[in-house]
Amino acid sequence: MAVGPSSRRQPNEEASTALGLTLLIALAFVVFSWAAAGFSSPYNLYALTRTAALNVLLGLAMMVVIATGGLDLSIGAIGIASAMFAGYLMQDFRLHMMIAIVAALCFGGALGFCNGFVVVFARVHSFIVTLASMSIIFGAMIVLTKAESVRDLPPAFLALGKIRWFGYLSPMLMVSVAIGALIAIMLRWTDLGREILASGANSRAATLSGVRVGNRIITVHALSGILAAIAGIMLSIRNGAMVPSMAGNLGQEWLLPAFLAPVLGGTLLSGGRAWVVTTVLAAFLVTELTNGMLLMSIGEFWVQFALGSVLLLAVLLEKGRSTLMGTVEGV
Amino acid sequence: MKGSKAFSTIIGALFAVVGMSTAALADPSTRIGIVAPGPHPYFTQWESAGQQAAKDFNIGVVDYRVPNKWELAAHNALLESMASQNYNAFLIFPGDPVATRPTVADLVGMGAPVISLAGCLQDPSDASFCFATDNTVAAYEAAKLLIKEMGGKGKIVHFAGFLTDPNTKVRIDAIARAVAETNGAVTVVDNITDLDVPEAAQDKINAFLATQGSNIDGIITTAWIPSVVAATALRKIGDKRIKMIGLDNDDLLMAAITDGYVSGTVVENAFAQAYVGSFAVDKLHTGCTLRSDAPWKNANRSAKLMDSGTVYVTAANLDTYHDIQKEKAKELLTSFKSNYLKCP
Repeated sequence: MAVGPSSRRQPNEEASTALGLTLLIALAFVVFSWAAAGFSSPYNLYALTRTAALNVLLGLAMMVVIATGGLDLSIGAIGIASAMFAGYLMQDFRLHMMIAIVAALCFGGALGFCNGFVVVFARVHSFIVTLASMSIIFGAMIVLTKAESVRDLPPAFLALGKIRWFGYLSPMLMVSVAIGALIAIMLRWTDLGREILASGANSRAATLSGVRVGNRIITVHALSGILAAIAGIMLSIRNGAMVPSMAGNLGQEWLLPAFLAPVLGGTLLSGGRAWVVTTVLAAFLVTELTNGMLLMSIGEFWVQFALGSVLLLAVLLEKGRSTLMGTVEGV
Repeated sequence: MKGSKAFSTIIGALFAVVGMSTAALADPSTRIGIVAPGPHPYFTQWESAGQQAAKDFNIGVVDYRVPNKWELAAHNALLESMASQNYNAFLIFPGDPVATRPTVADLVGMGAPVISLAGCLQDPSDASFCFATDNTVAAYEAAKLLIKEMGGKGKIVHFAGFLTDPNTKVRIDAIARAVAETNGAVTVVDNITDLDVPEAAQDKINAFLATQGSNIDGIITTAWIPSVVAATALRKIGDKRIKMIGLDNDDLLMAAITDGYVSGTVVENAFAQAYVGSFAVDKLHTGCTLRSDAPWKNANRSAKLMDSGTVYVTAANLDTYHDIQKEKAKELLTSFKSNYLKCP
């Protein structure tokens, strides 16, 4: 099944983007190791990989929705609400950790499903729907929990946050990379993945080809909710508690890294193209840049300024490249 | 062949850079990080107190750092970055009583002693101890002072911080205990909570004073923002009949004391916290331990609390209370050395 005009040259483009990001990661590593004291210390590498694990998941959660031409502004609210849900199951109902985590993933998936359902059946852009659901979900969570953290968690859950491999590697990053691999397989080698990309590339053509576009939009929102829930659980493991404000007010602190990873990774904002490997690499690069700038004592506001600028630049470059390629193809 | 040689050269260069940067960090002296959870006027004394401690106790480095926003993730990231930069002793106001514990455990695991400063971690934690104001004592003493200002009779309203903050409940109970000792001569009309946000504080305090101001004789505030808002409100309505005892030392509150709208304020000893705390954490880093028979208090969620005390500031000592804080800091230092610390 064709998934858009760029599908044939996709492997080469993806490989070249991946190579570019890898070189940037290596360059940033050398520069920060030289300029930022402590950057290459085992503890910092551990902290960096732990944060990267979270950013990879956020990037993937946004990427799958962007693949259909949509957006999900509510991933922060869904992630934190799901984590709080797991916390209450463990604290108040004394459920086993694994049951609580699975329930939280289902909860996140259900919230995402609701987003997708409204997008499809109300025919409203996902930007508006998820903007509203972000406030609704976060507000409801604050009302129900009275903004109180969940702090009485089982020791087995807390022990997960202390695992460190080789002194410098967080196993959470491996979990995120494994999830990324599954999504890559799904997008490239399954009918479901191809239908998702086809829905984003040209929804009318996809419909005529027999793809149930509405179902696929609901699917990616549910998947995004599940990924956000995993991110929320990971952050809770890192904190040893579920704190309502751990992703900022309304979960907004997650939005910038969530957008940066797929956009820098070459995912088309108009839909139809989603590259998992480059999204993972871009998430790692963003984490590395943030960490390095923090170690260099560059003010937090400047870090935000730099990341916002990178996002805008990436969007403009992609736009320019698309225009150029279109011109060349036209010729 | 050529490719593998280039690859090994790049890897070699990377390890060389890593080695150089790690070697540059090998500094055996104490490097203390005093870390606040976010910007707040309360912490302004910590930087100068830390510098004073570095000079007086010959400590290698004492740096005060604060994230640009009051947010747990930013606080944790700052602590992680400081640990990576070879800071080896910490005074930390927890971003969250529980969610800061894993980061503290990481720091202690790396050999850096941690004292929680001005706010306690919830037990059990890896912090050596908590050095903070005993909230129960501070609220009780503030209530007693207010009752005295009111002539031992009348009605009180209590403006407090977030009800979700466990300290708020503790303060409400402490005020109730002080009031109970008057055998009914003084009553608490209301405990109005969740006033740690300027907008909410403005709305609730102004509405209360507009509707019930004539019905009360005293105001006690146990958080920074309601102290400022209540003092400003009394100045605006020009009321000097209502007696008020505030908390801490915002400029607006101090001006209201000067002008007679507020009777006084209970100021926590932020100077002593950073000054004595720096001494303590330096000693813990250089081999001293805590005495097993140290007279810890069990309060503020911690069984190992050392009370940093308060200073009652009125118009009479407004200009000299910083000196009083420093005198009290010296007393706390002497007490810490003799009652809490054991050095080889």
